[in-house]
Amino acid sequence: MTEELTDNTKAALLLIGPLISGRDTRAQDLLTPGEFKRLERRLEELSREPADLISSDAASLIQECGDAVSSDRLEHLLGRSFLLGPVVESWQTRSIWVTNRSDSHYPGALSSTLGEDAPALLYGCGDRSLLGTGGLAVVGSRNADPDAMAFAEQVGSQAASSGITIVSGGARGIDQTAMLGAANSGGNVVGVLADGLQGAVVNRDNREVLMQGTLCLVSPYDPNAGFNVGNAMQRNKVIYALAQAGLVISTDLGKGGTWSGAKEQLDRFHFGPIFVRDVPGGSPGLDGLRAKGAQLWPNPSDQSEFRQLLEYRRPVEISSQDSSLTLF
Amino acid sequence: MKFDRQRALQLLQEGTGSSTAQFREGQEEAIRHIVEGRGRLLVLQKTGWGKSFVYFIATKLLRESGAGPALLVSPLLALMRNQIDAAERMGVRAKTINSDNQDDWASIETQVANNEVDILLISPERLANERFREGVLSNVGAQVSLLVVDEAHCISDWGHDFRPHYRLVERIIRTLPANLRLLATTATANSRVLEDLHEVLGPDLNVSVGELSRDSLTLQTIRMPHQTERLAWLADRLEELQGAGIIYTLTVRDAYQVAEWLKSRGFAVEAYTGDSGDLRESLENALLNNQVKALVATTALGMGYDKPDLAFVIHYQTPGSVVAYYQQVGRAGRALESAYGVLLSGAEEGDINDWFIGSAFPSMHEVSEVINALEDNKDGLSLYELLAKVNISTGRVQKTIQLLSLESPAPIVKQESKWQLTASKLSNEFWDRAERLTSLRRGEQQQMQDYVDLPFGQHMAFLVNALDGDTSFVVPPKLPELATTTRVETSMAAEEFLDRVNVPIKARKRWPMGGVPHSGLKGTIADHHRANDGRALCHWGDAGWGSLVQDGKYTDGHFSDDLVTACIRLIKQWNPDPAPTWVTTVPSLNHPLLVPNFANRLALALGLPFYPVLTQTAERPEQKTMENSSFQAGNIYGSLSISTENVPPGPLFLVDDMVDSGWTMTITTWLLRSSGSGPVWPLALASAGSGQ
Repeated sequence: MTEELTDNTKAALLLIGPLISGRDTRAQDLLTPGEFKRLERRLEELSREPADLISSDAASLIQECGDAVSSDRLEHLLGRSFLLGPVVESWQTRSIWVTNRSDSHYPGALSSTLGEDAPALLYGCGDRSLLGTGGLAVVGSRNADPDAMAFAEQVGSQAASSGITIVSGGARGIDQTAMLGAANSGGNVVGVLADGLQGAVVNRDNREVLMQGTLCLVSPYDPNAGFNVGNAMQRNKVIYALAQAGLVISTDLGKGGTWSGAKEQLDRFHFGPIFVRDVPGGSPGLDGLRAKGAQLWPNPSDQSEFRQLLEYRRPVEISSQDSSLTLF
Repeated sequence: MKFDRQRALQLLQEGTGSSTAQFREGQEEAIRHIVEGRGRLLVLQKTGWGKSFVYFIATKLLRESGAGPALLVSPLLALMRNQIDAAERMGVRAKTINSDNQDDWASIETQVANNEVDILLISPERLANERFREGVLSNVGAQVSLLVVDEAHCISDWGHDFRPHYRLVERIIRTLPANLRLLATTATANSRVLEDLHEVLGPDLNVSVGELSRDSLTLQTIRMPHQTERLAWLADRLEELQGAGIIYTLTVRDAYQVAEWLKSRGFAVEAYTGDSGDLRESLENALLNNQVKALVATTALGMGYDKPDLAFVIHYQTPGSVVAYYQQVGRAGRALESAYGVLLSGAEEGDINDWFIGSAFPSMHEVSEVINALEDNKDGLSLYELLAKVNISTGRVQKTIQLLSLESPAPIVKQESKWQLTASKLSNEFWDRAERLTSLRRGEQQQMQDYVDLPFGQHMAFLVNALDGDTSFVVPPKLPELATTTRVETSMAAEEFLDRVNVPIKARKRWPMGGVPHSGLKGTIADHHRANDGRALCHWGDAGWGSLVQDGKYTDGHFSDDLVTACIRLIKQWNPDPAPTWVTTVPSLNHPLLVPNFANRLALALGLPFYPVLTQTAERPEQKTMENSSFQAGNIYGSLSISTENVPPGPLFLVDDMVDSGWTMTITTWLLRSSGSGPVWPLALASAGSGQ
């Protein structure tokens, strides 16, 4: 389950990872995702890769990257190399793996859909082959009504019996209910967390399914990271990117993470078709998404109908020049 | 980074305090190798060669070129004081962080943050400590320029010296990028251990290796099964031996007992054990300055203690392995023409070493109890909550938790204050490793018995050979063989001494963590409900009175009058104040007459009344089957009743045959004192004293 850490991942951790989050993480002056991307481009020009920055003859390379990121800053960050030891060790103890987007075992769905905007680091626990199974992204609010919750559970369970993976955010409410519905029916589940991976992997509800190999938890953020609204919004893109289609079960109109995540899919990214739950009497949020092009969830009556809904090819390759994607 | 040879030599001379000091073979090359960042280095040199000069001088040179501080991981920091003094003479600011100096952590953290520390010395256990990681490591770790792993043989599963936290060190090393300078040092690594080190440290590892033989040492072995003989031999030989030395025992108890005996014979000796606490430094200095003839020590006085003119190292029992023995005996005669290393082999050492070997790993039963308890408690358990759920001793539960949590992936982890199951099962490799290490240690134990049987003159070659060293350097002993006989008068005195040994019973001052189940008793035990410190006549199963107590309890069903006489003598010597005015016993349904019969005779001989005021009202499992405080106290509580109106108000002896955890005495005392008795003096025939 835990593969050897590649040197590219080590270098990325040193440059953008908080590692051991001490009291003054801000003083670490980590590279922002944009800066890291700039550095990667510079390395590519030089026909080198991040791993070369931690080889024993890195000194001249660090100088050559000075245009992208000042060499003092690089030296300072790379000088943290000892910290990699204890921090990676503590993740491995908890069966947490970490991978860099240049690694061969980095999920292909993320690199092909998000390109160089795929999270530079992806942390996870559980069988990572689940990340290549596509599936249905199920999203919705934390405080949904009982009908929505019942629906989420039923969709999860139906996906499970149709052999479809459920991808969701692991948040309280719709996310967890859909995931649990799938897990309880023996289906595959992928949880994309915005925070607290370290705690989630020892959560007892997750433990059984992680051990069965039917749950994979991932996060683009440090396993120790606390909740942060920005992170929660950004990881929505990862949820949609891993799945073949999205289903919004409930949402506020014009605000909240569920809304903005679905809206940017419909307006800009088009990773896959977006469905909304068919609510008798309508719902302002879901109707709002329909107005932007979301389809009504047809409530498939059997497994083959369910599977057909996901047979969809992504029409749009995201252009790397699209600056609005510069998020990780 | 460029290596400045002149500056390095200057530092050596400052550190040694000698303006003519020159590098020993290999030292300069090692320093150069580190400073120039030429890859990972393993220094395999015997103790006293000067490994610490290598890393202190390298650290200083790196710091002078503007690099970050060094981090040194060593299992035995308390013993590095000599080396740290030398470091300070070179202007190397060395700081130690260990579990004993938590009060200093904050100020050291500040110094680290201000870049005022050149080398930070930590124990491997620190690396697993959350507060240390976040408070210190996040600062110092952010600019470490050199990692030094001391006693690197501990990294190998094949090392004699199994230290669980070195598994953590091993995994950390495997993760470190090649650009971090790394120095591993050890005095003892046979080929097997070397192979492992190559595997962990990488194929490009450079090794600096020296030869193992110590020409100044005259080695000798003597089999003396009985403690009496060995005590007498020590007393007789200490009169003849020149200089000061160390006497090693396997157990803390023996260290104190041997020290007490030798003191009673007029020798200036002191015990030095893991319990010596704050006294350690003054004891070490007393030996350094020859103010004592010897320290009687456990392995707590171990690696890193450097007294160049140590004249002898005597072992009171055989240590578990050649490597351990070589390291301990190798402290003698470093800067002397000649010194003695004598190993006395006693009958009890087999049991003691078996115990060390057998208790190194948790049993399958212990592991499954702990895992099952966690399985049943979804939100995890703190250590104390766990103790209330598994009938396993505190020490064993801690050991089980520790070893499980050091696996990778680990089956359990600590999440905030609670232990939790993870998504990984314990792998079979854990049990394979336990089995492999156990049989390895049995082999080492046997190898030491072979050593004991060697004729005079062959010992050094045997050790060097066992360590895969080159025996062609071995020279014959320089000193004559010591006499193996003892004077009759000394032997008689030793025998009498062993008869007089008695054991303090420490009164408990707190109820178990979480309280006595179903009793409402928790927290501190009030003064007026607490026992005084008591006495036991002997250790259960010991030579001396031990076997007589054993016979009385299990064979004769009657404690002999000799034990009454022995107790009277003990009481005279002890002289408890306020003096007891009556005698009672802990009641037992299983043996209703055994102890009262004895106590009655004792009371008669003391001229005191015997009042059996307590009765056992409920059948309970035998107390010795209860493994931790929570279970022990819970088992007694509520099983006794007292006829309150018959309790006299005076001080009393509370007599029992055996004392182990002390909970029976504690709860009985609480009952007596709540019913109006005076102060309670516990008195037992034998102490089984695991005494947690």
